[in-house]
Amino acid sequence: MTSGRTDSLRSTEIAVGDELPPFDLPVTSTVIVAGAIASRDFMPAHHDREFAMAQGAPNMFMNILTTNGYVSRFVTDWAGPEAMIRSIKIRLGAPAVPGQPLRFSGQVAQTSHEGDECVIEVAVRAANELGDHATGTVVVTLPLG
Amino acid sequence: MADKEVDELRARLEAYVGKPMGPPAVAPDAVNLPMIRHWVDALDDRNPVYLDAEFAATTRFGGIVAPPAMLQTWTMPRPRIEGIAGRGGAPDKMISDNPIPLLDQAGYVGTLATNSELEFVRYLRPGDQLHLTTEVESISNRKTTALGQGYFVTWVTTYMDGEDEVVGRQLFRILKFDPSTIGAAA
Repeated sequence: MTSGRTDSLRSTEIAVGDELPPFDLPVTSTVIVAGAIASRDFMPAHHDREFAMAQGAPNMFMNILTTNGYVSRFVTDWAGPEAMIRSIKIRLGAPAVPGQPLRFSGQVAQTSHEGDECVIEVAVRAANELGDHATGTVVVTLPLG
Repeated sequence: MADKEVDELRARLEAYVGKPMGPPAVAPDAVNLPMIRHWVDALDDRNPVYLDAEFAATTRFGGIVAPPAMLQTWTMPRPRIEGIAGRGGAPDKMISDNPIPLLDQAGYVGTLATNSELEFVRYLRPGDQLHLTTEVESISNRKTTALGQGYFVTWVTTYMDGEDEVVGRQLFRILKFDPSTIGAAA
């Protein structure tokens, strides 16, 4: 088990165009089932390959709560523990299935000041060989300074 | 489907806009550390504000907070595992007066989630007891998509704490499509 970072980015270090460090998630059946059950989503499509395939999917696939969880983690792994996420808005595309790693990438699209907070808009994308799994925007804040 | 039937279906769908998507729901458990730990391990999210009380106290959160993306997790219905596949994955026998059964009966049996928009008004802390309400926000006109003809159904879930203060919202949009109409002209 790794321990998380305890330092956070300083808002003055963040500029429009900054790339977030890419993150590759090796998607396995275990990753999918662990996320589904931790989010209390018992839909068979997220743990039962035969059920998912009978519904026309290529395999069991990741549930949306888990996708949102990884998007959140991707952004706070970059910004640090002082980061507060305001919104995660994603368009859903290709399914995340076992054997197809997901690559998370992101870029700072906009920054502004609001009271004692820096508001950062990050354009995010999680993609695999099938195409874009999720694309959208995460708004996150950091204390000014 | 004849134009008249399409118009009739559209009118029946429109009647659901502004109405609840499902009954109000109460989280079976308050926000709690064991479920946070389960999530942290499942997603390998090592942000210390989720489990390290001593560290979290030094941050602007002032103490442990739940991962924000867990918002929906707290209110997920308790499942009845037996027969869940036969119910198409529904956690329990649910009779909801919403547009989905109407679309299913009209042949739009396919479901594809297209958008999720989570907003967090505040981070949750252990002890927060959530409940929610839902509302159908909009239903599109019939569209021709790569999966066939269908309707986009959008609803918003509002999450509240024990004092009825809104803590977050989720907009969710699905496409209900008729797989037999793939390639049909608009």
